[in-house]
Amino acid sequence: MLQLVPPVSKNRIISDFPKWYTPEACLQLRDHFHVQVRAACQQRSTGTIGLKMSKVVVVGDLYVGKTSLINRFCKDVFDRDYKATIGVDFEIERFEIAGIPYNLQIWDTAGQEKFKCITSAYYRGAQVIITVFDLTDIQTLEHTRCWLEDAQRENEPSSTLIFLVGTKKDKVSSAQCERTEHDAVRYANEMQAEYWTVSAKTGENVKEFFFRVAALAFEHSMLKELEKSSGSMTQIGAGSLIKVEKDEAENVKDSSQTSISCC
Amino acid sequence: MEDPDSSPELALEKDPFQLTVEDVYDISYVIGRDLLKIGSESKGQSGRISELQFKIVRVLELLEAMVNQCSLNVEELKMEKDNLKKELERVLSEGARGDAGQLNLGPDKQVIDLTDPNRPRFTLQELREVLQERNRLKAQLLIVQEELQCYKSGSIPPNEEQFVTMENGSTASSTERAAGNNEYTMIKRLFSFKPGKQA
Repeated sequence: MLQLVPPVSKNRIISDFPKWYTPEACLQLRDHFHVQVRAACQQRSTGTIGLKMSKVVVVGDLYVGKTSLINRFCKDVFDRDYKATIGVDFEIERFEIAGIPYNLQIWDTAGQEKFKCITSAYYRGAQVIITVFDLTDIQTLEHTRCWLEDAQRENEPSSTLIFLVGTKKDKVSSAQCERTEHDAVRYANEMQAEYWTVSAKTGENVKEFFFRVAALAFEHSMLKELEKSSGSMTQIGAGSLIKVEKDEAENVKDSSQTSISCC
Repeated sequence: MEDPDSSPELALEKDPFQLTVEDVYDISYVIGRDLLKIGSESKGQSGRISELQFKIVRVLELLEAMVNQCSLNVEELKMEKDNLKKELERVLSEGARGDAGQLNLGPDKQVIDLTDPNRPRFTLQELREVLQERNRLKAQLLIVQEELQCYKSGSIPPNEEQFVTMENGSTASSTERAAGNNEYTMIKRLFSFKPGKQA
């Protein structure tokens, strides 16, 4: 009935709100937690807290480095050899954000066209969509639009946070990087996405990026909860903040089997 | 002087490329007979005749070897020809079958080479099931690793407060912890998403 969870690793603790990569394409400019969220987090000790988790799906053309990006962050490794992802894979990353345990369920999807019929089933219920492209291949940037469309089709567009990530920074000159970033920012604005340039090989910006994803997803879902509870006049911090409602829990229970089988 | 029934002489009239070893023997018989006749008719010349006879035998031996070789070559070429003919027939019939197959295939159809060890074998549904199973096992592994970490680090003394989730989704401290179906709850923790439910 009950679970044991070890303490969150020290390098997964987020206390200050992580900064954007470029102000020209970011989801929010604020450099601190939302006042309401911060207040709610501080009151957590008065109530019991259930684990929160957000689903993240990573999409993009094959060989842009989706798996490498995830592996750099989750396992701090980089494999030079390319191995195409078969269907889907996932990682769970545990954070502590503003004192609250928070998990990211990161879904890595195959970029190969032939797996689309499988991967699209895993897009459902995503809070975060990360569209990835290769800075050395401008076509992969053009394709991010389609990838986002596919992923959004399974979700409510207003409920997802979108990121656009250019990978393999180590492979491009700074001039080329700048030029591509310029285009990418334009794409990001069209997609209402936040833009990041990273290198999984060197690790540059990878941790910063995922911290930003985690913090934004965390705040987003906290604000949603607060909205809900203030609507129903529930007392914040008295355990109802991010506690799952009984009937909701039942629904979750009912859907857990299907969640597993379709996710 | 010559017997019309025995016709070894006929061998001498043959086309050189039709000549067989038997023909060569016939020729040698004819020549030998004639040499014998000449020998009996010209006494005193026997030394020169036997010398000539020796040369003639040598020439006949050469001819025999050449005819033998030639017939062997012909035999080989014949076999080669037969093989090529069979091969041609096979390729032609395969091509015809291929054409027929393509005629029956729609634009979205694909031909599978059944002798290819890497040919597509499994269905989409089978791959889906394998992936689901893999994901389920990976989720279980993560849970077990977490729990193991707890026990290894000794960070879970029995009475310490823990954030734990009960099956009904509410939370409780470890003082309420009870033995039960850990795995199911953990899986649910990892996968408890209701689409659209959370932000």
